[in-house]
Amino acid sequence: MSTRQMKSRDRIVRQSFENRLSHWLVAISTFVLIFTGFGQMPMYARYGVASLPGMAWAADYQLTLVLHYAAGAVLVFAVFFHVLGAIVNSRYGIMPRKGDVKESAQIIAAMFGRGEEPPSHKYLAEQRLAYAFIGANVLLVAVSGIIKVVKNLPGIDMNPTFLFVTTAVHNAAAVFIILGIVGHLAAFVFKQNRALLPAMIDGTVDREYAEHRHELWYRELHPEPAATGGAPLDDVPLEQSA
Amino acid sequence: MFRSAAAGVAGASTLALPEAAMADEVDTSGAVGVFIDLTKCEGCGACTEACRTKNEARYPEPVDDIPVNWPTGKYEDWSDKRDLSDRLTPYNWTFVEKAEIDGQTVNIPRKCMHCDNPPCANLCPFSVQEKTASGPVVINENGCMGGAKCRDVCPWDIPQRQAGVGIYMKLAPGLLGGGVMYKCDMCADLVEQGGQPACVSACPTGAQQFGPKEQMKQLAEARAAEIGGHIYGATENGGTSTFYVSPVPFEQIDEAIAGRKTELPEPMRKTVPGMAPDVENYLDTAGGLATSYAIAPIAGIAAAGWAAARAWKGGSE
Repeated sequence: MSTRQMKSRDRIVRQSFENRLSHWLVAISTFVLIFTGFGQMPMYARYGVASLPGMAWAADYQLTLVLHYAAGAVLVFAVFFHVLGAIVNSRYGIMPRKGDVKESAQIIAAMFGRGEEPPSHKYLAEQRLAYAFIGANVLLVAVSGIIKVVKNLPGIDMNPTFLFVTTAVHNAAAVFIILGIVGHLAAFVFKQNRALLPAMIDGTVDREYAEHRHELWYRELHPEPAATGGAPLDDVPLEQSA
Repeated sequence: MFRSAAAGVAGASTLALPEAAMADEVDTSGAVGVFIDLTKCEGCGACTEACRTKNEARYPEPVDDIPVNWPTGKYEDWSDKRDLSDRLTPYNWTFVEKAEIDGQTVNIPRKCMHCDNPPCANLCPFSVQEKTASGPVVINENGCMGGAKCRDVCPWDIPQRQAGVGIYMKLAPGLLGGGVMYKCDMCADLVEQGGQPACVSACPTGAQQFGPKEQMKQLAEARAAEIGGHIYGATENGGTSTFYVSPVPFEQIDEAIAGRKTELPEPMRKTVPGMAPDVENYLDTAGGLATSYAIAPIAGIAAAGWAAARAWKGGSE
């Protein structure tokens, strides 16, 4: 089933413009950071990446370092924008809750046709866990990265053991983020999850999908019994916050 | 001990040593440095010999069957060229460059300059290279994977790689890493105990002096003024712990070295460091972006505040 087929005319707003902006700034900067970060390992020359047409720049440590710095600054901007935005608007729906591990197992089992999926809030339990995992590692990579930037400034020398640990944390967190991204994208292997894709593009999801899969969230949005069978409701404008 | 061994090799007396080089105890509580007066260097090689004597126990002993790096099919093995003493190798951490300029030979002891803001240590992917408090830049041989990035970001290609040794042999030899990088560490162990580098101790003419960095810089400046000479190392790569004084401009020295380099086969060229004046630090360009890390959080907070204000005004969200 393609995204287009899933898109009915009856849609509700799921992600604000600010959320989508945060998501894509993090996604794009992280992609650049991963590529240029591996560029800081002596890899691209040795393994032939720099020999690919138009890729000679990948082996230029100075260039990849500058790109890494620039993308890192974008990531830091996005982290502050996102975290402060969540605090100001009291948006904590994506924070992990008690019982999320068990509930995630149930959701995944249901995807394989075993058992019923439990009713979900705006985010599925597994989404909350994935957010916490990726978010924690982004914080680790950002803090350790900023320490490394400061360390590279002239006139600043730091304790070697501290730097060794900082670098190890930076590298390990980067690997965990890559694993997290793989998991994040792998979620869309399952058809059930693909209805969520437009939420990060135009900000909306299919009303019927939300009603069925995110029942608890849908009821919060529409306190009246949602037994209208997916009939259009006019109280949630499509272009709410774009 | 090193002084006498080296002096024996050089066959020279230590009578003419200036005060700073004679001192057994040097104030190494602060930053230290080396002053190299090229008008006094006779190219005897005592420094090279002393370095070898001091460090040979640390020289790499690779396995017999050195793994070939995938996919390049190459590896760097100097273990059968241990006697080379006219360039930098994993088995030769200092040497005397003999630059021929206008029919005269300028003898230049070469080794790690120990930069103020060393790109090699700062950009090591695993932070297994460090700048110690007093200035020496030291590679941790036990943690080095031998990717040779430090050599690539060094303006003088100082660190040299030996394959078949080090931690990569315990991980995925051939697939990851390529050996261990070796270079002069300013005899950091001796310096820590208040001593001086073996090469300096061994110098029979007093061409090399060791002491508090500021003092070495002043000696270099005074000597340069005295002979109308030129200084190298004070500003290069953002400043170093080594101060050369030459009667000949370093542009000419660099040209002479470049001439020698061209005679070497390509893989060997990185064993002969040039002396380009005013060479810039690899970290400077990126360093210019560092302030963006102070701006980014403020901009993020401001943007979030602006978005919230906008939402409240609109009465939605």
